[in-house]
Amino acid sequence: MSDLEGIKKQALKDFAEFVSPMKARTMKSAGLDIIEDRREGASVWDITGRKYIDCQTGSGIMNAGRHNREIIDALKDALDTYDIGVFLLCSRQKADLAKKLAEIAPGDLKCSIFGTGGGEANDAAIKLARGYTMKPEIIYAEKAYHGHTGFALSAIGRDAYKEPFEPLVPGFKMVPFGDAEAVRSAMTKNTAAVILEPIQGEGGINIPPDGYLQEVRAICDEHEALLILDEIQTGLARTGKMFASEHWGVVPDIMTVAKSLGGGIYPISATVFKEELMDFFIPHPFIHLSTFGGSDLGCIVALATIAYIEKHDLAGNAERMGRRFRVGFDRLLADYPDLLLEVRQKGLMMGLQYTNQSIGPRLTKKLAERGVIAVYTGNDPTICRFMPSLVITAEEVDFVLNALEESMRELSKEGGIGKND
Amino acid sequence: MATKDEILEALADYQVQCNNNQRLRRMQRDWSKLIHFNSEDTGDWFTMDVVKGEITAFEPGARGVPDIIVTTLSENLCDMFWGDLNPSQKYLDGEIKVKASQEDVMRLDAITMIIWPDV
Repeated sequence: MSDLEGIKKQALKDFAEFVSPMKARTMKSAGLDIIEDRREGASVWDITGRKYIDCQTGSGIMNAGRHNREIIDALKDALDTYDIGVFLLCSRQKADLAKKLAEIAPGDLKCSIFGTGGGEANDAAIKLARGYTMKPEIIYAEKAYHGHTGFALSAIGRDAYKEPFEPLVPGFKMVPFGDAEAVRSAMTKNTAAVILEPIQGEGGINIPPDGYLQEVRAICDEHEALLILDEIQTGLARTGKMFASEHWGVVPDIMTVAKSLGGGIYPISATVFKEELMDFFIPHPFIHLSTFGGSDLGCIVALATIAYIEKHDLAGNAERMGRRFRVGFDRLLADYPDLLLEVRQKGLMMGLQYTNQSIGPRLTKKLAERGVIAVYTGNDPTICRFMPSLVITAEEVDFVLNALEESMRELSKEGGIGKND
Repeated sequence: MATKDEILEALADYQVQCNNNQRLRRMQRDWSKLIHFNSEDTGDWFTMDVVKGEITAFEPGARGVPDIIVTTLSENLCDMFWGDLNPSQKYLDGEIKVKASQEDVMRLDAITMIIWPDV
């Protein structure tokens, strides 16, 4: 065993002993017992030197690419002068980032409060909706995923994440995703907000029917309820536009952004909202605080990330590389009908629906053997999610498609792949 | 190929191993399931009742509406019940097929991990 293999073995052993034995076991079984070492662009190298194209990217943390040098340099420069900052004080960095978010956000979204992650951003959004409207009810969608924190957890559309912790925050109503009439039926005079992902990520890359988001927007307006759009996975150019809601021309009242906002370098999230909602915070300026949320360093990293996304037109690359993936996916769809049912895609937010749930985990393993990291979605194991960095090149797209083709060819020779298996 | 009696013998061992493991019982105390095992090469079926983490019964045949169906070769069933194979590995290799929620697939693998951590 080489030194590096020994280091890897020890790291996995220690992880199993001190962090999570079941996670270590599951990753090993899936061929994903990878100890990340070098990272660059769309790729990551295992500590033993094996290269992988990363199509998981922490469910969309790495839009600007892995270990992005420009973003790292911005952080290094900042560290010469700044630290996290005192959250109680006003901050130029927070102001700069809020101003930039107002510039790139859809419509008249203008003000921001900051957090460290997506769940915290959605917690803040739901608190703001309840506080501003003085109404308690929140409508959310089946298979939705908004994070594992208090309010956000109550809006997750998967019982397994919630049941051990019940009772959760009351007043949450679940409706089918993509069904505007169900939203209308669930609306009451006590509805504060509807919270949705424009495209469901963990739910299986569920793209709503055209007109759905517009209708929900109209229903919210009719009932004086707010619309919260969770753009945590879909935002920052992932779908070919800066924010996915732009595909349907819908402006929410509150939008949450996280994951790639930190450039894969520094945790930060934002809850961006319309100016009129600031009326809730004016008499309560200290009612929602976050010690580390929107730290000066985090804001600098976020600004550098947005600048990188704009400068390199990553939305355009997501669109172009998405089309290249689509050609390959369509070919696989025709060649492997026993394995593949459907392709779901907007830019580089992509999901392949398999014919049965065992295929997702099995294909994950086969792809890992061929140097591709791609994992089925949390709330629907029949869907394998592909969310590579938006800096991915045509050659890398072809590499992933070849790995998929080889994996499917091998899998099609094995048993247990049909719809009824 | 394993006979029906050999599989029942392995199931009996599995029941003892599971029920005597207090850590496993505590961990699975919120888990009650009806499980069918299908030996695909011999055509035999087996039913197992798990109530609050305890295997309360097992028997030949497919009784009731299962929460989980595990299908594999008879030898794999015996090896799984004796802790001689990693069920998660075999699942990912396509040799064991499981119809269940992802949570239940994980629970089944957790049983092996707790009783036979080196498998």
